[in-house]
Amino acid sequence: MRVATDIGGTFTDLVYVDQYGEIGVAKSSTTPPNFEKGVLDVIKKSGIDQSQLSMFIHGTTVIINALTERKGAKTALITTKGFRDVLEIARGNRPDLFNVNYEKPTPFVERYLRQEVNERLSYKGEVLTPLEIEDVKACVEFFKKEQVEAIAVSYLHAYANPAHEKQTAELIQQLWPEVKVTISSDIVQEWREYERTNTTVLNAYVQPVAQSYINRLETELKAQSNVEQLYIMQSNGGTTTFDSAKETPISMVESGPVAGIFGAAVLGEMIGEKNIIAFDIGGTTAKCSLIENGEVKVSTDYYIEKDSRHAGYPIKTPVVDIVEIGNGGGSIAWIDPAGSLKVGPQSAGAFPGPIAYGQGGTEPTTTDANLLTGRLSSKNFDYEVDLEAVKSAIQSKIGSRFDMTAEEAALGIIRIANSNMLNALKLISIRKGHNPKDFTLLAFGGGGSMHAPALALELGVKKVVVPIASPVFSAWGMLLTDLRHDYIKTYIKRMNELTLDEINEAWTTIETQALHHFEEEGMTAEQVEYHRFADMRYLGQEHTVKVPVENEAWTEASKQKAIEDFHNLHEKNYTFKLEDAQTEIVNLHLTAFGKVEKPEIKKQIKAGTLESAFKEKREVYFENEGWLTTNVYDREKLPTNEVVQGPAIIEEKAAVTVIYKQQLLHADEYGNLIIVKEEN
Amino acid sequence: MTHTTTIDPFTLEIVKDSLLATGDEMFDALARTSMSPIIYEVLDYASGLTDAEGNLLTQGNGVTGFIGMLTFMVKETLAKYPGDKLKEGDIIIINDPYQGGGSHLSDVGLVMPIFVDGELIAFSANKAHWTEVGGKDPGSFTNDSVDIFQEGLQFSCLKLYDEGKVNDVLVEMIRSNVRFPELSLGDMWAQVAALKTGGRRLNELCKKHSTKTILAAIEYLLDHGEALSRKELKKLPKGVFYAEDFIDTDGIGNGPFPIKVKVTITDDEFICDFRGSSPQVPGPMNCSKTGLISAVRVIFLAITNPEQDVNDGVFRPLKILTDPKSIMSAERPVPVSNYFETLLGSLDLVWKAMAPHVPERLNAGHFLSVCAVTLSGTHHDTDESFLIVEPSVGGWGASNRKDGASGQFCMSDGETYNVPVEVAETRYGVMLDEYSLREDGNGTGAGEFVGGKGVTRSYRAMTDGQAVTVTYGRNKFMPWGISGGHDGSPNEFFVDKTDGTTDGPYGVYARYPLNKGDVVRLVTGTGGGYGNPLKREAQQVVRDVKNGYFTVEEARTVFGVEVDMDTFEYRELESRTH
Repeated sequence: MRVATDIGGTFTDLVYVDQYGEIGVAKSSTTPPNFEKGVLDVIKKSGIDQSQLSMFIHGTTVIINALTERKGAKTALITTKGFRDVLEIARGNRPDLFNVNYEKPTPFVERYLRQEVNERLSYKGEVLTPLEIEDVKACVEFFKKEQVEAIAVSYLHAYANPAHEKQTAELIQQLWPEVKVTISSDIVQEWREYERTNTTVLNAYVQPVAQSYINRLETELKAQSNVEQLYIMQSNGGTTTFDSAKETPISMVESGPVAGIFGAAVLGEMIGEKNIIAFDIGGTTAKCSLIENGEVKVSTDYYIEKDSRHAGYPIKTPVVDIVEIGNGGGSIAWIDPAGSLKVGPQSAGAFPGPIAYGQGGTEPTTTDANLLTGRLSSKNFDYEVDLEAVKSAIQSKIGSRFDMTAEEAALGIIRIANSNMLNALKLISIRKGHNPKDFTLLAFGGGGSMHAPALALELGVKKVVVPIASPVFSAWGMLLTDLRHDYIKTYIKRMNELTLDEINEAWTTIETQALHHFEEEGMTAEQVEYHRFADMRYLGQEHTVKVPVENEAWTEASKQKAIEDFHNLHEKNYTFKLEDAQTEIVNLHLTAFGKVEKPEIKKQIKAGTLESAFKEKREVYFENEGWLTTNVYDREKLPTNEVVQGPAIIEEKAAVTVIYKQQLLHADEYGNLIIVKEEN
Repeated sequence: MTHTTTIDPFTLEIVKDSLLATGDEMFDALARTSMSPIIYEVLDYASGLTDAEGNLLTQGNGVTGFIGMLTFMVKETLAKYPGDKLKEGDIIIINDPYQGGGSHLSDVGLVMPIFVDGELIAFSANKAHWTEVGGKDPGSFTNDSVDIFQEGLQFSCLKLYDEGKVNDVLVEMIRSNVRFPELSLGDMWAQVAALKTGGRRLNELCKKHSTKTILAAIEYLLDHGEALSRKELKKLPKGVFYAEDFIDTDGIGNGPFPIKVKVTITDDEFICDFRGSSPQVPGPMNCSKTGLISAVRVIFLAITNPEQDVNDGVFRPLKILTDPKSIMSAERPVPVSNYFETLLGSLDLVWKAMAPHVPERLNAGHFLSVCAVTLSGTHHDTDESFLIVEPSVGGWGASNRKDGASGQFCMSDGETYNVPVEVAETRYGVMLDEYSLREDGNGTGAGEFVGGKGVTRSYRAMTDGQAVTVTYGRNKFMPWGISGGHDGSPNEFFVDKTDGTTDGPYGVYARYPLNKGDVVRLVTGTGGGYGNPLKREAQQVVRDVKNGYFTVEEARTVFGVEVDMDTFEYRELESRTH
């Protein structure tokens, strides 16, 4: 039996699949700061037979929490002489352009703990000044005295030659075996010293926390079962072993959310949809990611605490490309000083939550608007709903400002929320050169299915899929993941000068490293699959395009094909190509999968009629239509392949699907809801 | 706010958001497609949409200094091509500093009218710093030109595209008159692509919501901006405020030049009167009127509401007065290449006049200079020529509640990124010896809240025959402190030669020759402090010493705290209790 658990802000979710392909789910409260307790609780609550547990996959927020709450270790940095302030100078940018009081991100290592040593490499990795051993010793002495708990080492051009960093780490381990050490070349092999150093520092900062958490979880799990295969979800959409995760915990920073994106790709493959826009709406945010031809896009352009007003902190480990906006079920509707209606990013959260929860919330939220327009039914809340309180708040805080009824105002809130989400969806699709008509919108999370059909009409996607287990879809996704490691190495070569020997040698080196890593994790060469990419650009340009390239030994033809594919991808992304311009490689990127045997998800043909799934008729307020009497169905009882004509509502535990007049819906053989626009 | 329209407010809001998103999209498109570091790393460009009369609707900015320019480029276009002279498919190129929207020749603007069903409804426009526009020096912008003709190619509002057909003659003229044609033309095509994106999106919006709705949303957007702005204006102290200062030099040996402002704030106007400032000068520090408008708009936003979306409605309460032919309202043909130093000086005047009166928004003076560096030579491995054109980071002033930021770009820059050491060493024929925070040791920037630190960035030439041009303003007059806070330190540079001698400090210098092994040490200023240093929390002073921001000596004499360097125990001195 495979079990996946996903720790969220409010709930810890569990999804399991047994040897017969049967799926089960459970939810239990998240238990900070001892998150492992929530995991054990939800296992208990699910009622699974723990003796049958063979594989355990875990998504965790422990890393991101330690970072955002600044609860990591006391961390020091050793760096090249002349450059200890790289971490504080950072990039000098000020996204909040007109604010003279702009607050720059504070480094995670204070200045006195940033120490320099004599050593220097050239940009080609040649040693110009050998490492001064005495300097490292002095640093260690000082850090001992200061009771440092973790040390980061980051030298200039270490991506080109890691020798000095490795030497430093060995020396520290000899002198001080108890302290945790992270060297930059183990974490990031890309150029740009600030980004690489910051990533290294953050890894060191969370490592002790991660190690202790994973150890506790492992001990508890093994005390209750014989589970051998223990995996953790990484930000790249694949898993890694508990042991690897303890070494590079920074690669788990988006551990939970990406599993849903990855799950979307897997589900897409099951139902024959290769091009997908994955869309996840939770309580506070909405997240979306584009999957093209089955490929989840991964990059190292990730930041924490960055927005349009703050520079944030870069983390250059591979993270699934996700666009996240501050619009979820709990997002608060408000009027700006000049009288415009806005929704989010402020959220009422789980507590007090929307007014509808009756837990003291006073500000109207998207959920309240969905309730007042009949999209949600007060019968399905866990709380006693005071509909009049919701109505009067929306009326007084929004409606009266525009001389309109509470219902009209509620619809306004939904439209503004949808507009915000639509802009995010456009950002990852149309604005990147993709045609939405070629894509399926796969919606999940608590609010995904409620908003997706309306957004689909605006965006013009070919269909909407609300997958099985949609409210706990991230955990579902984890069940079906493989082990995955990404190796990205800065490798600057002009294509016209690149020889086949050197490129083939470079790939072989990276693949040997990958294989070695997988063997350490108990995999064999047959289980490992490689996908190669080159980050390429026109000479002189900065931004690169990720080009899938030949996976076997390169020939002249594979080189020419890489160049040709680059031109075409560049044109697709940026509207033009420069056929005569020189091209160059900046990074080699190898994605390596350790294939794990996966359970077959069972088809579940449901017989019956729509009448048997019918729950009630309800008045629902629609854009351009006004109030419409709308059929409401129970998702659990919806018969396979029976078509529901919109407008209609499909209810399930913890989620609701709202389809519009021009839309048709049916449940497929797996129980996914498929929504298409009616042909005229 | 009045609306005569019957379109519902949420539709207007949604369309307004779509217009803003279009602005963002055009902005991103240009950065991604540019081939020049000055654009994709420094983001030295802006792009946006205006209405059919040239009123700015939305502007994506990488730097603040372009905030007054797009509007006037469009207005110039409308003036030169009235009525049906402007056709669908036209794209105008403009960089003339003395015309509307002009700054210096390096900033090249493109303007495209957007037609929907044959009707002119808007413009998309952008302006970007080209690495090269010709002229007497590599990189084009220069600090010792004596007239505009030395500064490069002038485009006085010409049609680059005529009804969709590119003007090949003009393109060939550019190709043969700039030093790096592939960069300049690459940027030009990137600008064209970004404009077309804007045009396409606006057409889609009109198709979806009707042109009438879009025009109503445009009016709504401008009114919304004005309403927000007037609301903030009401909160400001009313009265007349003054400030005076100097521009260090004109780059060719003259100066310093006095500049002054009188700011008058009423219930519905914000008037900046620069009359009485220095006349225009022989060297290239002159600022165009458009540059001055940008300066005032930037600081106006900082004072009123730095968070709002920017459009021309916001600036309706602004008025600017100058003498003709002044240093901040230059006229043909005086040189303007380094106009941004006077732009900053003018901006700083209003800042300085208002800082004591709006402490929640304005802090003490910052290093106030783009601190531009141009370094050219050949690469030691590839033998190819290289050109570094970059601004520098420095220290910002403290406020009444926190220390100033260290190592940030100046106010006229913004979402500007420094060039990573590893990238610079790969691409250019240099190595960096140091990139670190400045430690003056003489109490500069001290205060209850201290000014942010300037930085030292040292380039070692790896080949003979390199030349560095440095334009560091605020070399003679320091970033100002407030309420007893100390002034900051100057922007300056030194050259450490292989023979062991050091030359400098200098502020502005044209083409300083460097040979292999010579190091140019670029040091930017620390920002001004806020409040009496003796009031700084003693434990914080200890931390400052431990972190090396201040010395033990400074702790004692400036902050009145005796710190033991070994134990970091401390004692507050008598000076603090007086």
